[in-house]
Amino acid sequence: MSTSKAKRINPNRILNTTQNGIKRITLSAPEVAENIPEVKPLRTPTKPKNFYLTVTHADRGMLDDHAHQVIASAAILADKETTVVALVLGELREDIASLGADKVIVMPEFDYQVFQPDAELACVLKVIDSLQPSRIFMPDNMIGDGELGRRLIATQPSKSAATHVIEIDAKHVASYQAGGSLLAFADLPEIILLAANTAETNLPFVASAIPDEQLKSTSYTFKESNSDYKNLGMLPVASATIALEEADFIVSAGNGVSNVATLETLARSLDAAIGASRVAVDDGKFPRDKQIGASGKTVSASAYLAIGISGAVQHLQGIKDCRHVIAINRDNSAPIVKRADLTVIGDAEEIMQSLILAIAEAKQATSNQTMSNPVN
Amino acid sequence: MNIIKHITTLVSAGRHPVSGEPRHCHNDSLAMTIGLDMAKSISAKHHVLHAGNPDNKALSEYLALGAGQIDVIPISDDTDVVDCLATQLNHADLILTGSRAESGEDSSLLPYLLAEKIGIPLVVNALAIKVKANTIEVLQFLPKGKRRHVTVKLPAIIAIHPLAPASLKFSYARQISGAIKTLLVPYTSTSTSVHKTQWQTLASIRKPIKLKAPENKSGHDRMMSAISSESKGGAVVNNGNSVEKAQVILGYLREHRLINF
Repeated sequence: MSTSKAKRINPNRILNTTQNGIKRITLSAPEVAENIPEVKPLRTPTKPKNFYLTVTHADRGMLDDHAHQVIASAAILADKETTVVALVLGELREDIASLGADKVIVMPEFDYQVFQPDAELACVLKVIDSLQPSRIFMPDNMIGDGELGRRLIATQPSKSAATHVIEIDAKHVASYQAGGSLLAFADLPEIILLAANTAETNLPFVASAIPDEQLKSTSYTFKESNSDYKNLGMLPVASATIALEEADFIVSAGNGVSNVATLETLARSLDAAIGASRVAVDDGKFPRDKQIGASGKTVSASAYLAIGISGAVQHLQGIKDCRHVIAINRDNSAPIVKRADLTVIGDAEEIMQSLILAIAEAKQATSNQTMSNPVN
Repeated sequence: MNIIKHITTLVSAGRHPVSGEPRHCHNDSLAMTIGLDMAKSISAKHHVLHAGNPDNKALSEYLALGAGQIDVIPISDDTDVVDCLATQLNHADLILTGSRAESGEDSSLLPYLLAEKIGIPLVVNALAIKVKANTIEVLQFLPKGKRRHVTVKLPAIIAIHPLAPASLKFSYARQISGAIKTLLVPYTSTSTSVHKTQWQTLASIRKPIKLKAPENKSGHDRMMSAISSESKGGAVVNNGNSVEKAQVILGYLREHRLINF
């Protein structure tokens, strides 16, 4: 076999934009694409005649994908004279301008873990009263929005409403009825409870997402002392006992983990559930019911710590719904690096040991702090 | 002294997901079993109430599951079920239902509309209930393995979650000894669908279409977005010793409030 001396040229050479804005392939220039951030047009109307209201709960300062889809669908359906107002219950620390929210009202006192349906409903009713929105969009979920939306529907008999909405467009909504045997259509109602994955969140425009302090102060509600409901707090549940599909924090091991005991210690100190990749399960290090991936379980944890997992497509399929993926891997060209939000390159065992120590120190520091300030 | 004298469970006609045959609604059966157990432990009277066709085959399955007697409000499909139920439930101290029906609109709205109509509090997604003085303590289901304790004043409506831990016991003897009692129709209400939403049904199920923002991109932009893969990828930490790397991970977890220490 003869090898050609000709220089191999990458057929997919990256275009370089010159100063005049002309795109060129310059063979002598190094292959670096200038990353010009795409500037999207602003959608926010200056003289709104109409309002769309979205009501969503935030979890630890973040809205989940479902809530993102609800805000985005309101923004997609809004016309040029309609302002999208996002009412966020719970603390919010992320920017939702890219989802098309023109105004944002954040009510940090309504955390989803605290059961206060009457106070939340009173707050939403006040916002509705001052805005008079023509449509209200809410996610039909289990973290309080589905419940709050239905309470709202029950108090507003004059408004048309639809729940479990699986399809929405400018004219109509659709939902499954009669135990999923029928597909039912209705005209776009005033209160819409959207199921998950009904809209794309990738929008060709941005919005201003201005915090509306005036609306926030007018819709502030005092907690009623004579409420029919009383919140007694969350039941402590050990993560290890929760099914993997339901777990919120998963520490997962792959081929790069040699010492299972260290991983178990780490999972215990983080109060996380343990998962594994197919290779680790095939090696007999973990039982089959811990396998995450195409032939195992699909998980939707908020935090997924992938240790020594290269990230085969089948594994990535199983973790596609995970919010934060952190990878510890020796190979910085492994596919997991592209998926992970944070990748630490290094030996899994060493980093795990250091992490266990760091967590123990952090826990010690926190407990010392609470000892010295018993008020907090 | 016990203030709960009457517990009423609302049951609906279920539907087999594959054959479409009428059967008991699993979620309502769980609610009924929890209601029966509670009535037994606090010696209250338990009633089972259904609004619909008294000849429905599904009802006999509730008898087999221990209902004893089922009171049926005979209504046609176009009658407002909330009004009918509300007039029957004025004296109930505790009302139990399932979370979502398997027939009709199954919008999961009934407990909410009923609570609003009667003017009593409602707690949904209940996994277990316990009587405490003049309140009911409810263990609520939340996703991600979270559970919450709340109390609610009586009288109240409690909607039971489909994952509630109750075991159903089917007995043929109970099925043939039980009775279905048809109540008199209180009045005929003409209001039809809940909340004016007029649904048109389609018997064929198709995949729902996702809502997408209309894009007016040039052909070149569309081609570029199709051929260039989005290499998303987050931060990569190459440098430092293992202690520093562990601190980076801890910092990330703290920043996103994934840990509370």
